[in-house]
Amino acid sequence: MTSRNNIKIIAGAIVCHEAKLRGDVTIGAGTIMHPCAFVNAEAGPIIIGEKCLVEEQSKITHRVPFDRVEQKNVPVLIIGSNNVFEVGCNVEACRIGDNNIFESKCFVGNKVTVTNGCIIGAGCYITEEQVLPENTIIYGENCLQREALCGPGQQTLQMDTLSKMLPNYHRIRKPNLKS
Amino acid sequence: MAYIIEQEVVKYVCTCGLLKPISKLYFCRYCLEVRCGFCVCHEVDSHFCEKCLENMPSAEARLKKNRCGNCLICPSCLLHLSVRAATVGPKNPEDPKATPRKVVYLHCLMCRWSSRDVGIPDQIAATGGWPERENVYNVRLSEIIEWYKSVVLLEKQQKLEKDKKKQRKYMSFTDKTGLTAEMIRKRIGLTEPPNPLLKTKAKPLEGAIAKEDVEELPDNIFTQPIKLNEITTVQQRLLQPEWQPVTVDKLFPIHKHLSVKQSLRCRSCEHNVSKPEFNPNSVRFKIQLFAYYHIPEIRIVTVEPLRAGQPAELLLKFINPTQHQTVVTILDLSSMPELIQDDKCSADTSTDDELKPIEKEPLSLSLTQSASLLHTTLSRQPSFTIKPRQTKQQVGADIEIPAANFVLPPRDDAAEFDDSGENYNFNDDPRLVKWRKSNKAVIKLQITPSTDLNLGDQVVVGFVMQHIYTNTIATSVEKDKEPQKCQHKIRVFLSLGNLLGSSE
Ligand SMILES: [Zn+2]
Ligand SMILES: [Zn+2]
Ligand SMILES: [Zn+2]
Ligand SMILES: [Zn+2]
Repeated sequence: MTSRNNIKIIAGAIVCHEAKLRGDVTIGAGTIMHPCAFVNAEAGPIIIGEKCLVEEQSKITHRVPFDRVEQKNVPVLIIGSNNVFEVGCNVEACRIGDNNIFESKCFVGNKVTVTNGCIIGAGCYITEEQVLPENTIIYGENCLQREALCGPGQQTLQMDTLSKMLPNYHRIRKPNLKS
Repeated sequence: MAYIIEQEVVKYVCTCGLLKPISKLYFCRYCLEVRCGFCVCHEVDSHFCEKCLENMPSAEARLKKNRCGNCLICPSCLLHLSVRAATVGPKNPEDPKATPRKVVYLHCLMCRWSSRDVGIPDQIAATGGWPERENVYNVRLSEIIEWYKSVVLLEKQQKLEKDKKKQRKYMSFTDKTGLTAEMIRKRIGLTEPPNPLLKTKAKPLEGAIAKEDVEELPDNIFTQPIKLNEITTVQQRLLQPEWQPVTVDKLFPIHKHLSVKQSLRCRSCEHNVSKPEFNPNSVRFKIQLFAYYHIPEIRIVTVEPLRAGQPAELLLKFINPTQHQTVVTILDLSSMPELIQDDKCSADTSTDDELKPIEKEPLSLSLTQSASLLHTTLSRQPSFTIKPRQTKQQVGADIEIPAANFVLPPRDDAAEFDDSGENYNFNDDPRLVKWRKSNKAVIKLQITPSTDLNLGDQVVVGFVMQHIYTNTIATSVEKDKEPQKCQHKIRVFLSLGNLLGSSE
């Protein structure tokens, strides 16, 4: 589809130079993107909201399911605010709300809609077409599911530390959009 | 350490007839026999909590139902619960001077279950004080236990009176209610204090009454959709047998089960083959007679494609783990007939008398010691030998037994870092020994898969490995004595892979 990269970084976002961004990607203010994070907008644009944390080796891919490839208008993958993508996660979800945590090495298929406050536990695989209700927690090797009373707390401290530390040791991409 | 995680391809036959990889075998230096977890005596040494690493005497452990008093596990996913601090608003928000309070709650890092989910009030102190739930059937249960104890006691009394004159050679401590202190008192000839349970006759129990009519199921059970997030799994229910919560809002933290340190004892000579250190912090052993340290380890290097009736070359690596040189001879399986017990090596038993007291504890322990201590040191089962079972391993290939034997030098940890050319002078048969380095040697064997095998069948070969075992027990007792050498035989079965089609 789009062979040229069209990267939009809104002022306030910290995106390391070594983060791989492919296709049409918009990154919101306050979002931190580690080196070697991989955002691949191969099927259509990706918009990442504010104050998301994308750690090393995590992969966010916009991939349309095989049975919908023929459709004309490709949707935009919208990722809300305050999401955490931990080391090595592989997320292809078709829509992501706010306040979600994708733990290490988890996989979320492209037919899954993630709402708000969900936690996908380390190593969990979800591939079936479904909408995860709010505050759903998926954990353990059998991907058991439970519902929490409230969503996970925000990682403000971690984000503050990172936004101070990262620019000292990494080259940061210049934001090209005013907020 | 690949053999620990990978498929078990090299299996040794234990004295009891079971097939085990070398990592699961023990070697009793006194009987000079291999033992496995199945044919040794398992004894509990100590109870401890693996989270807080606290030791607990066995009497206390029994009292606490083998659970740790401090550590809790998640009722949802069984992982340890951690204590998490939080700040909440002051008690009376109207007061402007009131400062926010620090509170703690329990939180699971795996499934994010928290004590707030089920409405357990937050605590001020981080050290426990979590509300305990009372089992509603406690009274009934303790009544039943009391009654059961009195029945057992009565039966024992009657039995004792029956065979008072007979002096039993062994006593059994494996008794149901743990009345071991009484047994020991009897053994060392103390008079029995009158048992309080016998005096006060436990009141007869009311038996459970079966009910004919049970409650009807509510109608909506067939129509209401099930919300899987609200009901508990079978595992979660069985974790708390007293309550068996049906819905997730009734899940409460569970006290962690204790772990045990166990020692293993050879059944025929009552020596320990494995004894851990007492301290829960330590992962080391006082005694560890693992076969891995005494018996040459065999690894498959390569094997040529296996075709029925066609000879194939098999390369095996032998590793000598001991500090003594050994000579390995490959023998036919028939050289070690099954089910014959006295086919032992020429172990000298003259030193046994001096050695035994090291292990055995005197029975005259003072009574001031707690019953639990007596329990752990004396809970020795009477030794009895299990008849070895027939090994049911089918052999699917002939093996050409080499005429020559070969030497394995002692293990030398420094040799690993020594690159200088080693020259060996072992008069090796060049047709047998293909390679050697320090305590390792690779030998070549000729095997022929049987023509009876079908395509794709697993090809198993077996042989008897005879090696010289140097017994160092005698030297440790009497310094001037030469270490005893003896021939030890063990059957080995190798799974080589699947049979391929003919090459034509
Ligand atoms: Zn055994
Ligand atoms: Zn504990
Ligand atoms: Zn949990
Ligand atoms: Zn023994």
